Amino acid sequence: MSNQMVDLNRVGAKGAIAEAAEGKWGMVIDRDLCTGCQACVAACAMENNLSFVGEEDAGYGRTQHWIRIERLWEGEYPGVKVEGGFQPMLCQQCGSAPCEPVCPVFATPHSEAEQLNLQVYNRCIGTRYCANNCPYQVRSFNWRDYHIEPFHANLVTGQLVFPLHNQFNPDVTVRRRGVMEKCTFCIQRIHSAQDKAKSEGREVEDGEFTTACAQACPASAITFGRLDHEESLVSQLGHVSRGVKHLEELNTLPRVTYLEKG
Amino acid sequence: MSEKISRRDFLKLASAGAATTAVLTGCGPASRYVEREPYTKMPEYTYNGLSTYYATTCRECAAGCGLIVRTMQGRAIKVEGNASNPVNLGKTCARGQATLQGLYNPDRVGSPTKQGRGSSVSPMDWDSAIQIVADALKNNTPSEIAFLMGTGSDHLFDLVSDLANAIGAPAPARFGALSMFESRATLSKAAENLLGQSAMPFFDLANADIVLSFGANFLETWLSPVAYTRGFAKMRRGNPKQRGYFIHFEARMSQTASKADEWIPLLPGTEGLVALAIGRLVAEAKGGATPEAFASVDPLEVASTSGVKLETLEHIAQLIVEAQTPLAIPGGAALGQSNGLSTAEAVLALNALTDNFGKPGGVFVSPLSPNEDAYHRPASALEITEFISKMKSGSIKALFIHGVNPIFELPKSFGFEEALGSVPQVISFATFPDETAIASDYIFPDHHGLESWGYQRVATGSMQPVLSGLQPVVNGVYYTTTDPDTGADTSELLYNARGTADVLIAATQLAGGKFAEALPFKDEVEFIQSKLVNLISEADGSFSAPEINTFTAYFQQHGGWWKKTAELATPSASSVLSKSVNAETAQFAGEGEFIFLPFVSPTLGEAGANKPWLQELPDPTTTVMWNTWVEINPETAHELGITNDDVVEITSEAGVVKAAVYLYPAIHPGVIAMPFGQGHTAYGRYATSVGVSEKFMDLVPTSQYVNGGKAFPRGANPADVLGAHFNEAGDLAFAGMKVEVKKTGEKQVLSRLESRIGVYGEGMGEEH
Amino acid sequence: MAVTSDHLYGAKKAHETHHEEEHDPRESLMYDPKPRGEMNQMVMESMTTTSWKFWVVFGILSILVATCFFYGWGYMISEGLYVAGVMRPSYWGVFLVNTVFWIGISHAGTFISAILRVFKAEFRRPFTRAAELMTTFGLIQAGASIFMHMGRVWLFYWMIPIPNARQLWPNFHSPLMWDLLAITTYILGSTMYLFLPLIPDLAMARDRSTGWRKTFFKTLALGFRGTEGEWRHLTIAMNIFAFAIIPVMFSVHTIVSWDFAMAMRPGWSSTVFGPYFVVGALHSGMGAVALVLFIMRATMKHMDYFLRKEHFDGLGKLMMIVSFAYAYFFFNDYIVQWYGGDKWTDILLHWLEEGPMAWMFYQLILFNIAIPFLTLWNKKIRTTPWLLALIGFLINVGMYYERYLIIPVMLTINRMPFTWKLYFPRVEVFLTIGTFALFLWFYMAASRLIPLIPVWEVQEGQMVHSLRKVGKTHVPTVSEFE
Repeated sequence: MSNQMVDLNRVGAKGAIAEAAEGKWGMVIDRDLCTGCQACVAACAMENNLSFVGEEDAGYGRTQHWIRIERLWEGEYPGVKVEGGFQPMLCQQCGSAPCEPVCPVFATPHSEAEQLNLQVYNRCIGTRYCANNCPYQVRSFNWRDYHIEPFHANLVTGQLVFPLHNQFNPDVTVRRRGVMEKCTFCIQRIHSAQDKAKSEGREVEDGEFTTACAQACPASAITFGRLDHEESLVSQLGHVSRGVKHLEELNTLPRVTYLEKG
Repeated sequence: MSEKISRRDFLKLASAGAATTAVLTGCGPASRYVEREPYTKMPEYTYNGLSTYYATTCRECAAGCGLIVRTMQGRAIKVEGNASNPVNLGKTCARGQATLQGLYNPDRVGSPTKQGRGSSVSPMDWDSAIQIVADALKNNTPSEIAFLMGTGSDHLFDLVSDLANAIGAPAPARFGALSMFESRATLSKAAENLLGQSAMPFFDLANADIVLSFGANFLETWLSPVAYTRGFAKMRRGNPKQRGYFIHFEARMSQTASKADEWIPLLPGTEGLVALAIGRLVAEAKGGATPEAFASVDPLEVASTSGVKLETLEHIAQLIVEAQTPLAIPGGAALGQSNGLSTAEAVLALNALTDNFGKPGGVFVSPLSPNEDAYHRPASALEITEFISKMKSGSIKALFIHGVNPIFELPKSFGFEEALGSVPQVISFATFPDETAIASDYIFPDHHGLESWGYQRVATGSMQPVLSGLQPVVNGVYYTTTDPDTGADTSELLYNARGTADVLIAATQLAGGKFAEALPFKDEVEFIQSKLVNLISEADGSFSAPEINTFTAYFQQHGGWWKKTAELATPSASSVLSKSVNAETAQFAGEGEFIFLPFVSPTLGEAGANKPWLQELPDPTTTVMWNTWVEINPETAHELGITNDDVVEITSEAGVVKAAVYLYPAIHPGVIAMPFGQGHTAYGRYATSVGVSEKFMDLVPTSQYVNGGKAFPRGANPADVLGAHFNEAGDLAFAGMKVEVKKTGEKQVLSRLESRIGVYGEGMGEEH
Repeated sequence: MAVTSDHLYGAKKAHETHHEEEHDPRESLMYDPKPRGEMNQMVMESMTTTSWKFWVVFGILSILVATCFFYGWGYMISEGLYVAGVMRPSYWGVFLVNTVFWIGISHAGTFISAILRVFKAEFRRPFTRAAELMTTFGLIQAGASIFMHMGRVWLFYWMIPIPNARQLWPNFHSPLMWDLLAITTYILGSTMYLFLPLIPDLAMARDRSTGWRKTFFKTLALGFRGTEGEWRHLTIAMNIFAFAIIPVMFSVHTIVSWDFAMAMRPGWSSTVFGPYFVVGALHSGMGAVALVLFIMRATMKHMDYFLRKEHFDGLGKLMMIVSFAYAYFFFNDYIVQWYGGDKWTDILLHWLEEGPMAWMFYQLILFNIAIPFLTLWNKKIRTTPWLLALIGFLINVGMYYERYLIIPVMLTINRMPFTWKLYFPRVEVFLTIGTFALFLWFYMAASRLIPLIPVWEVQEGQMVHSLRKVGKTHVPTVSEFE
């Protein structure tokens, strides 16, 4: 460390601004590669104990997808195209998140350590102001105790047994009705990797772990990692000229860069 | 001499690959024949708070992707791809991710069941079950015993083949809806005709600079979607200097087509002609003589028949001429036509023209899997109809069914369900109470894939020979029950399933005589070892071991065995161009205004309907969840007075099906399309519907299979309108039906993730 | 303020020629005094005379409250908010509409009892309490509605800034916290402001009751005996509150409007929301007062003495002026947004004008602007109680539409077109019926328990209004208060 140049852009107030602007954990999603296969959606659901809501609620805007694949059309037959390709949309973990100031009970504060937008399930009282204020509309609400509806159970020797619950990830809270939730950039994996690295006395290496969606994606369209480390893959991909940030003009400082079709 | 391998050494042996998983894969909790450490050093899976990871193979389709499953205290909680497995290199598709909801599905067959074809259902114990299997084997003449199996579970297929061979029974027939829609017989026949080798072709997408897909849905469920998606990604952005270009010919914009730079809609059945026309234009542009294969086609005529403009054909020909490694891929509905074989040959001929057989970015023959003498393709649809005729004629007295649900997967017009009536004894090994299982005499449930031993041969999708391995990642599904007297909690097995291979081995031992000699193994694992033992002496393997027990341990730990270097066979192209390819448009069966185009649902696949998270995944192109829809061009619909959510009746010469309408902007006006994968009348609460006005969450459903009754279907099955028409290779001409469409006056609101307001401008005063 | 003879009641008409209609000043309440005792008795009778029709209506309301409000809300709490119609992207629906609506209604009370008092508008005298009751009961419904929309309502107290074991303060950046403070202030303030002028009447009632009523009034009247000192203290207190509650009133609805204006949604982040909502609140509140007065007059004994044409006339004029202000802010809001040309706001305006809820938009303009403009200038209409009540009712319908458009309908359009879905209320319908039923239930119960007319204020007014003989004519005059 001793003969390293001090990067004045990274220390002091300027550093704080730089870090706030750039972020720590971030993602790059390549829309040219995304095939819309929904592997990321399924992986996220399995990793984060998401509930499925059934046909009626799914069509009525109550799905719990923390990541969704958007598809818009342009043109007319036979020249019709998917506009810009498939668009995976997930919580952008904004540096200046509009959802944070509006929660009356601080249930969605900003993490200084990971530079992520946190969702504290046990503090949320369900006013849903954060969901209204999110310009990306990536927050979902637990409208019901979907997981424990008797429909999913078997009656075995007089008791309700829920076999599907065996699949729950113990590292992630199972949410009750009345609380908001959203993508956390698999913070349980972040902490797990950090704990492991710390116990081994080293830093977390780039690519040592990744989010569930990035891990599953067969097209490797999602890259996750440290935006503030220049040598990380996500940082380098983020500076590609095709890269755009969605709804950038709102100054939300999103941590997800989308690589548009070239 | 057997080497004692300690757990520490296992750690070192596991490859870090893409470093995306923690990578300790031990031997599964049901490990057999491996030296165990003393109990003072506890097995990994009992450490509180620590996960253990086990390598296995996904069984949701036949691709053979390797998995590493994270388990915690005996429960499987997350599926990841095995970074070392050459097929998927650490990636998984949505169906693989959701396989856990199959393992833990509330609607599994809970114990061996006397099903009585649905009329009288009662549970049994395994000893009685094995006795019944033994009796079925013993008491029938071998030629009257038949096995019908799915395309997965290769080790079971091998065991059954060996058994059948030894006792003189006919070889097992293998079939699955996916193989039907992939037209595997056509692909391998085309390969045989043109390349001299009957095997699956492998298309090296990754290194191609232009890809022309004639109907091949390689990003969805076709053959090996994870591998091909990886290839697609490399094609697109793998070369920093050039972005790969992709052109897709299909009557509807499938998910694959939506990723194309140019989606060329055309009349179904004309794909072969279009390929030939392009070939001719390419040959002419290059100068020199036009090869025989393309000599008799007239591009202008093709333009008018197919609906593809001549300028477009010329433009594509030009792109091919300028490309380094243009690759043409036949597949999907293009082969599911009466002229499917000639279409495949035409497209392969196009590859020959551009001289990319055996070159990077070109066509190869997939390597044989380790331990395989030749590629054994699944039965074609025509061969299945022959099988069904055998059933109907009464010459099958005992039918064993595993890994396939023919009542659902086959067109109704094949008459499988009726033919069951002519088979005196039907024994199903289904894990789930699907339509065929509940129509059987007995269900002796096999383990779920994640609870199973085995191996899976990779027929295509990898450049190396791969034998992917399976081991149980959990020891079963348990539930906790409290003893009412003592108040103590005990753990009970919820699903009392047993490996079918084990059942057959036990039954043959019980039957004695030649049966016992046919399978001289003490259990399934010993049988598997007998099949692996030859690999010990193979060179260039991903690992080596001196003897079988160690080899098996490594095989389990790595999730399989594969060769380290690619072994793609180079087909010889010399004769391809000099053969003339039969160029004609497809014939359609029946009368009707529309051509019916069924396609496999990219999210449900052939067997995903009972996994609720797959149901909740929106279809990539329509975003519909939990139901079936029929795609109609908006202009056409407007003319017919049909709008979104209208329920229409689709009638072919073979049957009728009803579905709600989705006005789909990217489909040929004369074609309607419907996804395959829904329409179950059994298979569990998520695959079926509890009634017309269901309250999804409010009921504890009665087990449909206990009552043997058919539940209300969720959605519809397009196989209901498919007739028994085949292409030259015997594959089903599933896209060769003409249908009539009629309004019923009913409405059924489709649950879409998308907003009709935002995407289609509904309610905004202008419709898009 | 000097005595003027051409004061409120068209006094100049008194010396106009005979071809003008004869205006008998005694038609107006202030010039038509009755003996105190008689007036007090009238008020007592209107409180205690209860017909069987009252009990029928009260019974029905009780059933509605029990089923729609309590059972419905309890069901929703135990099942989860899925029984409501809220979803993505309209996470807020009818519950918030109700909240804003009821706060709007409550503003009229404060306006009438505070602002009109401060501006010494005499015509307010007989109905200040009826209006104040609307404030208190309306705020209860608003509070209930805002609790209804919460996902985990049993933890609402985490919003209250009290020391706690978690050592967490609530987030004062959030407009919802401002709401909490503002509405709490408002409800406490206006309840106290309701109570203060009630004391003399409670004392009066105490002196004229027996049995449980006497005990009830005795407890509440706080021993008021009507001495000079007590009156002085009471008047000072009421004046303080009158002045103090006015900024609270303006700020409360401004703060409530900031729930929307501080958000980033197209159509919502509009700086004019503050005054727009306040004026809208007054608009709906005035209309509701007209409706309530009409019902009082029609159903309660002796109310035709207290509530006369001039009150409806004055109220109608107020309604007209407020409707002018409302029209200004309404068009200001939409025209400025249209002028701004933001792509998403354009789509939103298009959605309002041509989408499936466009009928609501046009009816809103009809009820809130067109009808008041076309009718309220006419004195005949203003002085016909049932007509004014009808106009008031239509204004309330229009204002309900306005909140419905602003909340769930505007929430449909955001910057992610993939998510735009249309909201449909489900259990909210029952809960809304429940809040209306509860409001009316409270009101009806109050009409039996406390005097609805602030009779001491009426008497005070009558004391200073007299007909002075000037030459041959009687000129209505008003003396100055202290």
